Amino acid sequence: MVIGGGIAGIQASSDLANRGFKVYLVEKSPSIGGRMAQLDKTFPTMDCSMCILAPKMIECARHPNVQLLTYSEVRGVNGSVGNFKVKVVRKPRYVDETKCTGCGICSDNCPAEAPNEFDENLGIRKAIYMPFPQAVPRLVTVDKDNCIECGLCENVCPANAVNREQQPEEIVLDVGAIVVATGFDMFDPSVIPQYGYKRFKNVITAMELERTLCASGPTGGHLIRPSDGKIPRSIAFIQCVGSRDRRKWIDHPYCSSICCKYAVKDAVLIKEHEPDSRVTIFYIDMRAFGRGFQEFVNRAKSEFGILFIRSNPGEISENPNTNNLIVWFEDLITRTVHNATFDLVVLCPTLIPRKGVEELAKILGVELDNYGFFKSVDAVKKPLDTTVPGIFACGYCLGPKTGDVPDSVAQGSATAGRIAEVLAGMEVS
Amino acid sequence: MKYAFFLGCLIPAREPNYEHSVRKIASELGIELVEMEGANCCAPFSIQSVDYASWLALAARNLCIAEEMGLDILTLCNDCYESLLMTNTILKEDKETRDKVNEVLADVGLEFKGKTNVKIFSDALYEDIGLEKVKNAIKEPFNGLRVAVQPGCHLTKPKRIHFEEIVAAAALDELVEATGAESIAYERKEACCGGPLRGINDEVALHVAKQKLDGVKTAGADCIVTVCPFCYNELDMGQLEIKRHFKQEYDLPVLHFAELLRMAMGMKLEDWEVKAHRIPITKILNIKETK
Amino acid sequence: MITILNTEKVNLLVAHEITNGDSDLSALDAYFMHEVANMPRGRGVLACIQCGRCTSSCLVARVVEEHNPRKLMETIILGLRSDVLRGQLPWHCLSCFTCLDRCPQGGDVGEAMFAIRNLAVREGNIPNGIVVQAQSLFETGRVVTPSRMALVNRKKYGLGKEPTVDVEAVKKILRKTSFDKLIYRGS
Repeated sequence: MVIGGGIAGIQASSDLANRGFKVYLVEKSPSIGGRMAQLDKTFPTMDCSMCILAPKMIECARHPNVQLLTYSEVRGVNGSVGNFKVKVVRKPRYVDETKCTGCGICSDNCPAEAPNEFDENLGIRKAIYMPFPQAVPRLVTVDKDNCIECGLCENVCPANAVNREQQPEEIVLDVGAIVVATGFDMFDPSVIPQYGYKRFKNVITAMELERTLCASGPTGGHLIRPSDGKIPRSIAFIQCVGSRDRRKWIDHPYCSSICCKYAVKDAVLIKEHEPDSRVTIFYIDMRAFGRGFQEFVNRAKSEFGILFIRSNPGEISENPNTNNLIVWFEDLITRTVHNATFDLVVLCPTLIPRKGVEELAKILGVELDNYGFFKSVDAVKKPLDTTVPGIFACGYCLGPKTGDVPDSVAQGSATAGRIAEVLAGMEVS
Repeated sequence: MKYAFFLGCLIPAREPNYEHSVRKIASELGIELVEMEGANCCAPFSIQSVDYASWLALAARNLCIAEEMGLDILTLCNDCYESLLMTNTILKEDKETRDKVNEVLADVGLEFKGKTNVKIFSDALYEDIGLEKVKNAIKEPFNGLRVAVQPGCHLTKPKRIHFEEIVAAAALDELVEATGAESIAYERKEACCGGPLRGINDEVALHVAKQKLDGVKTAGADCIVTVCPFCYNELDMGQLEIKRHFKQEYDLPVLHFAELLRMAMGMKLEDWEVKAHRIPITKILNIKETK
Repeated sequence: MITILNTEKVNLLVAHEITNGDSDLSALDAYFMHEVANMPRGRGVLACIQCGRCTSSCLVARVVEEHNPRKLMETIILGLRSDVLRGQLPWHCLSCFTCLDRCPQGGDVGEAMFAIRNLAVREGNIPNGIVVQAQSLFETGRVVTPSRMALVNRKKYGLGKEPTVDVEAVKKILRKTSFDKLIYRGS
């Protein structure tokens, strides 16, 4: 069983399926894809993220050995390696999976709206919705919390797929091994009030920026700022928002390892969208390790004219008339304090374990480290084994030592290898 | 409620109006303020700058006096609060330092045992008396008064010392609003008034005060309300000095929180108390008259 | 082409640059950082990563060019002992602790200011305004005393009796900690 349908989970599932194992891929949200589906481009190659991901999602879903259990959650685990019994709850979509064709007529007609979580709550979706255009499986889901029970969807559906009586379904599955690949969440910067997130309209997070820049996002890929829809001419990135922070009430002392990378990527993306804009990155250290990345930073400076300032801003204030932002920083060349005005500020928050991971760890009986990431039983000899034999983990849920997409993919494959190794000589039920 | 009343140095010397309002509120709300016989200066930042051990020993002496009285300390000044609270925290947690300080205190027949707590006036009202009781005591609310609350730096910072306490700035806002006034949001509410540099570097102090006053004025406040006598002095007298040096006027009267509360409880300010404000508070008194 | 053979040379180059060549560079003290870190209020010095968030938040840094908390930490780490202790930078600090609350690494620069001030006082650098308060404290137990008028008014306003202070106890304590030696110099 693979818990988590992000890129790491998808890779693990595909590899295991190719080896002849039957794989149940359990995913909490209505579609697989994970964080990579939300990205516009990947670094440092600037490839379209969905273009790389979508074929993998489809290949995985169509594999005869893979059974997708989306909109489902693991609720209980018994047994041991080779012989786990896992209780999975399939949350009701209120849509018959065998009948729905994903045509979307229901969504077009639905009168009820809700914030679109996939777009980081920037845009809206309907109560009956397809999470994103390339969703796998291609099914709509009804969000009962926002549904007004008008029944319009039922009336217009050409396949008669709406089933408002649907109940949650509990199934018990026999599996030989489990892989956890639950990925990450982004830290909420409103915990650091000096940066003005949620108080000032034009302070956004990097993920919100990704969704804005993405052609399938809430603005159709146009870089516009929240307060007035104007194109920002000056943009600031602030690194290390919440990371490398030992203060008791923040408590994320680690470096998230990919924020510098995605910041430079986003900065270059902005320059590609709006070549005349002025982009500045405020950093403490520019962690550009790995192949191609320092070169990418150099290109960002020389080719794209992005300004890198080594200074961590202390606070941001807002001009109430223009909604422009005033960033206070110290210019480390002249060693004097300045402020600069920007149309848009992008915060690069730290990456934290997914919400709900603590309960999952309890259900699985595995240990988490003191940051809430899954703990390897031995970081050197068995880095992908959790503290329970037969349960493995891959991708960012193991913690920020993972670099980026290729690393998550590599770990996904590696867990498949580990499982094959462990189960090879065992009596598997 | 009974407290060991720590007045500090600044209030008896310069701001008797603050003490007077506190005493009036105390008798109305049934708070007994017991004098700390022989208490010395808390050792504010100026003294802490000279020597670490001297600071701890002096502050600890006051804590010991309160311990012997079997009461918690009530202070009226943010600087005293910070000094006594920090000392109390350090000596409670660090045995080595505590032993060294007790060596010094032994000379004056005292020993720090860690039995008392330090409270500032607004926290004591909120935590120990309770917002409800304060609200019930309001007889003449200040409806329509727009107040810029100045919590002062040492009500809430450093967060790791104050963190486990209730969120003091929010408590102060609620208490101000209990009097019927509106606590408005303004830029740099958490910023310093400049007070600690008064007497050491007046020019810098004024520049800092100016930043604060600019923010308050832009937000359209009627007046400033503060818990700390340093803030009071810097923002009240400071406006006169800013008028002289920078040719800028704000006309923002500054009130002690205790004065605001006492007036809302139906006790008018006496003549000498009105005159104790360098920026005239007539418009605040007029608001009361017209209700 | 500069071949840097030891970190002392690098520190000299940086120190030269940030002090505009004015300081006595032969007096770089590699131990100074640890001297400060060993003081109870200077513990945070070793944690500083020179990110600059403190200076960006400092209200005084916006008004006084010379006042720069990050730079204070930098000069401590580099070992410019006499510059730091003779300089005016630590005496502009408001002790508002904004820097301390915002520092992500526990650098405690607001506390380090006190540690530096304590060291500076030991070497005779102390602003006059503080000497006045300190001497008043030693002689009367208070940093500022009520005037005769204030005491008369106390009676008039019904504020109760004059708060007493045990001056002898204060003097005993401050003699034991050698406070008096620090504030009465060459007088």
